[in-house]
Parts: sequence; C-alpha cells; structure tokens
Amino acid sequence: MSQLRPVIDRYATARVNANPGAHGLSGSAEYDDEVRAGAVYTAEAGLSFFHTHAEGLGLVLFFASTLVASVVPWRRARAALYAFLTAGGLFPLGYLAYGAGALELGRDAGIDLAERWILTPLGSAAIAGLLGLALLLAVRSRSAP
Amino acid sequence: MNRPPTFHAGRAHPAPIVAEPWRLPPVTVLLVAVVLIAGAEVGGASMVRFKVDLTRWARGVMLARPAVHGLVGVRDVDERVLDEALVKFDGGLRLFHIHAEGMGLVIIATTTVAATLVSSAPARPAIIALLTVGGAGYPLGYLLWAGLIPYVGLERGKAIAEWLVWIPFGGATILGLWWLSGALAFRLVRR
Repeated sequence: MSQLRPVIDRYATARVNANPGAHGLSGSAEYDDEVRAGAVYTAEAGLSFFHTHAEGLGLVLFFASTLVASVVPWRRARAALYAFLTAGGLFPLGYLAYGAGALELGRDAGIDLAERWILTPLGSAAIAGLLGLALLLAVRSRSAP
Repeated sequence: MNRPPTFHAGRAHPAPIVAEPWRLPPVTVLLVAVVLIAGAEVGGASMVRFKVDLTRWARGVMLARPAVHGLVGVRDVDERVLDEALVKFDGGLRLFHIHAEGMGLVIIATTTVAATLVSSAPARPAIIALLTVGGAGYPLGYLLWAGLIPYVGLERGKAIAEWLVWIPFGGATILGLWWLSGALAFRLVRR
C-alpha cells in the first residue's frame, strides 16, 4: 500500500473511469473529479482497513482458538467454536471486497454489497464465537474448584 | 517439549529436557479478556450499523447545550464546532474498538507469561490482577470520553476520562508490565 500507492491510485482512477454509470459521472470535470476522489479514497480505505483488521484478527483467532483448545472440554462445542472463530477470521477479506466494490459498482453500492454479504455475516460469526467462548469460560469458572 | 535424541557412536542417547509447560491464568482473567474482545467487536459493528443514529444523537445533545460547545447561532461558525466535536466523538468510539481488541490480547499474553514464569507466590496474583484490571478498564476511558463530549465538551470530557479511567487503569497496566519485566529479568539473572 505504501510502495505501490501511485500504482493503486492510477488503477483505482482507471476503474472509476471505466464504470461511469455506476459512479454517476456527469461529464462535468469539477463534479466528476470530486466523485472520482471519493471513490479512490474509499478503495484506499478498504485496503487500509484490510491491513489493520487482518493483522489484528489473525492474533485474535490464534489466541481465542488456543483458549478453546485449552479450556473447552466438550468436543462438539470446541468444533463449533473453531468454525465460528475461523469464519470470523476471514472478516478482513470483506474490506478487500469493500474497496473493489466501491470501484466497480459505485461507492455506496460497493460498500453495501461488502457489508451485507461479507462483513456482517463473518463479523457476526466472530462475535458469536467469542460470546460462545465467554459463556463456556463463565460456566468453567463457576464449576472450577 | 522434548529435545530429539542425540547420537553418539551410532547409539541414540535420548536426552529429554522437559521445558516448563505454559500455565494459563485463572479462568476469570481469560473470561474478562474474551468479554473485552467481544465487546470491542460489538462496538465496532455498532459504530457502523448505528453511525447515523449515533451522530444524530450526539448532535442533538450538543445543540441542546450551546454554551458548553461555544455555539453562537451563526451557521458557519457553529457547523465547524459541531463537526470537530462529532469527529472526536467518532474517534473516541474507534479508539475504544482498537484498544479493547488490543488490550484483550495483551491481557491473555501477559497474564499467561506471569502465570508461567513468575515464581514468587505473592507477586504472581498481584501482577495478574494489575494487568487484568488495568487492561480491561483502560479502553472504557474512550467510551466514557465519547459519551461525555456531547454533554460537557471536548476538553472537560477528556479531563474526566483521564482522571477517572486512563490514569488509574493505564497506570495499573504499566505498573503490572514493569513488575512483570522486573520479575523476568530477576529470573534471568538468577539462572
């Protein structure tokens, strides 16, 4: 993102220009420049969010699944938690879709698609996995001698 | 973890060295950390899902308190003031999300190190308690600051969050980390 910034900018601008209908480009230079800048900014934000969330969620997945392996004695519960947490670990890919969608489908439509089909389901999986783990930890802490 | 057997003159001489296994901190500590991370994720999702409602709420509270925010009734002036406060409000929520995610992991990692490697019986629970309480409380300061901005303004909100949350809980975490560092350094020197 840092080294290839000019290349990314050029690519993003080209994709906006290739989808004028999706972005509502009007032919007026002043208006179109503003729309183009907004879409390119959103695409860059998507990349930036992907980077930060992928770094963080990798660690969350590592630690949370280690806790599951260590403190959850029930096989089916462990399997379910692993499934939820692993699905949740894929959440950052939604930001790649967010960035690409903003360029190909228009800013609002692209963000809506990424949120509805990737970020919300995978984010919910991560939250469900963590809340499930918290619940089982609470049960363990009450039953521990 | 055992070292693989060494070979000498064609014969295997197994030399098992059992390294100290990692010990988990108390389950309550892990529960606090996991709840904090889960809270961070719910907070992050809520910021996106309820962005418009949160902004509308904050703006309404600020407009109801013009003296607190220095609103003068001139649109050009007031909109700049409101925008700045709303950016900080959003920033506070983001900082809660980031810090709660991070501090949850810091609690798990550092209390596991303490549980395994701090041999002093009085120091171990004290370090674990400082790291847990400090780590769990600190991010709440950002939620408090964000919540206070519409009611008392940027600077007063920050001062309240600083003295009530960031300084005590951040101080607890820093104390716990330095104590843990000292205990580990002592253990290294003692070997």
